[in-house]
Amino acid sequence: MKSTPYNLVMSALYKGKKGERPPAVNVTSIVCHDLMDAAGVSFPQAHLDADAMAELALAGHEIVGFDTVMPEYSVNQEAAALGCEVDWGSRDRMPDSRMFPYADFSDVVVPENILEKPSMRVVLDALAKLRRHVGGKVAIVGKVMGPWTLSYHMAGTQNLLLQVGLGEKDKIVKMLRQLMPVTIAFAKAQFQAGADIVVIADHATGNLVGAYHYQQYLLPIHQEITAEIEGPLILHVCGNCLDRLELFADAGFDGYNFEWQVDSRIAVQKVGHRICLVGNVNNPQTLFQGTPEDVRRQVRYAVAAGVDMIAPECAMPLATPMANLKALVAATHEGY
Amino acid sequence: MADILEDIKLAIVNGKHKEIEGLVQTAITGQVDCNRIINDALIEGMDVIGKKFAGGEIFVPEMLVSALTMQKGLAVIKPLLKAGNSQSRGTVLMGTVKGDLHDIGKKLVVMMLEGAGFQVVDLGVDMSAEKFVDKVAEVKPDVLGLSSLLTTTMPEMQKVISLMQERGLRDRVKIMIGGAPVDARFAQKIGADGYGKDAFEAVQLARKFISSN
Repeated sequence: MKSTPYNLVMSALYKGKKGERPPAVNVTSIVCHDLMDAAGVSFPQAHLDADAMAELALAGHEIVGFDTVMPEYSVNQEAAALGCEVDWGSRDRMPDSRMFPYADFSDVVVPENILEKPSMRVVLDALAKLRRHVGGKVAIVGKVMGPWTLSYHMAGTQNLLLQVGLGEKDKIVKMLRQLMPVTIAFAKAQFQAGADIVVIADHATGNLVGAYHYQQYLLPIHQEITAEIEGPLILHVCGNCLDRLELFADAGFDGYNFEWQVDSRIAVQKVGHRICLVGNVNNPQTLFQGTPEDVRRQVRYAVAAGVDMIAPECAMPLATPMANLKALVAATHEGY
Repeated sequence: MADILEDIKLAIVNGKHKEIEGLVQTAITGQVDCNRIINDALIEGMDVIGKKFAGGEIFVPEMLVSALTMQKGLAVIKPLLKAGNSQSRGTVLMGTVKGDLHDIGKKLVVMMLEGAGFQVVDLGVDMSAEKFVDKVAEVKPDVLGLSSLLTTTMPEMQKVISLMQERGLRDRVKIMIGGAPVDARFAQKIGADGYGKDAFEAVQLARKFISSN
């Protein structure tokens, strides 16, 4: 097998042939100020303009050296299309939404033309541009929000979690099921537009909810989603999710992007034979505040543990030094 | 009397938000001292919850329901507390730093601190260093709690502490920090007095600060 970025990523996803080295991937945003300056593209433009979005994604491969390009940097594309007022932030601040249109858990109205909404269209157009640039050479990664995350945006995080605590299962499941089609439709559209892999980010975060919550509310939904979408899917859930790794494998995902809080060796031991493991270099202490040697050490630990694809654990802090991102890539080039 | 206090404590632990008002009223009718209801039942219940959360037995949904139960119980008692009768453990000023809109962790800390008998002034989110320091001068809290969920906003915590030093206020208040990207090493680096990894630790820290004053 030729050790091209595309081959390395797709083979690792299905635990196939190993090439000369493990792939270095970004399944969450790796955009930082250094990368914006190097690419000549900044926020908020890159959230809203397809050319800017694609340009910045390409820079992740051409300048930093990742084996993937991933054009979505925020978690708000669907929320904006569903009626949230999104503040698209600035060079120093990620987008955020303070308005929760379904805080009362009334029926969610999903526009029929949701894929044509500007915040959705921009991602699809960017993926198509990336396909033309690097299709078949570099793995193109799309990203969608899962129904749990979308419920946070629709109802408010604290509100949703309070309803979980109050045992309002019918209310919550209704909202999840009304939002599930958005996740499925956007993921399918991203594959059609040119994505090779789609990340589903669904923040049933390890430090917010328990494995029992995931099992009760979200596992059945995820199983339906993975059954419905034909293309390869990587799940991203933040936090210490050691207690639910097997459930993620049960959900039918092809890969799981995990955090440094979960020891790579234990993760591989538990589910390495069932699911592609993607991760797990620490963001705040290592990539943001650490040295290139700190980064290298964590990469080599993960490689030795048997992690399939090396990646940051989560979306990159904007002030991360690009030298540390390059160190991550360089450490994978040392091979197995 | 011990039985009703135990019932109230268990109601907090089990999130019985529909029963708590009746239970507290029963205790009041039974001539139980209000401060005993607060300290020996409501606060003790929240302490149990805090330990369970820190131990990973329960998560944020259960914490929120217990906190709601606590607030409902307190609401029955508060009108009966005259000024001077309520034994506040101390005053804590809390806020999320500038550029950061996340507040669920901070709100949990606020709830736990109130549950533990502290008077808490919650400044909200996206608070500049100047606003924090102005409020410290105005409110004169015992403890200042700074929250940050984003690595990009961590440096704001340093700004708050530096400005406190400039204005000669640093020695008048203990500063604790919390949030996903920070840790004890960062707290030491910026000159904070402590770091709490979760709401339970934050309460323990606040208690320690007050008792050392």
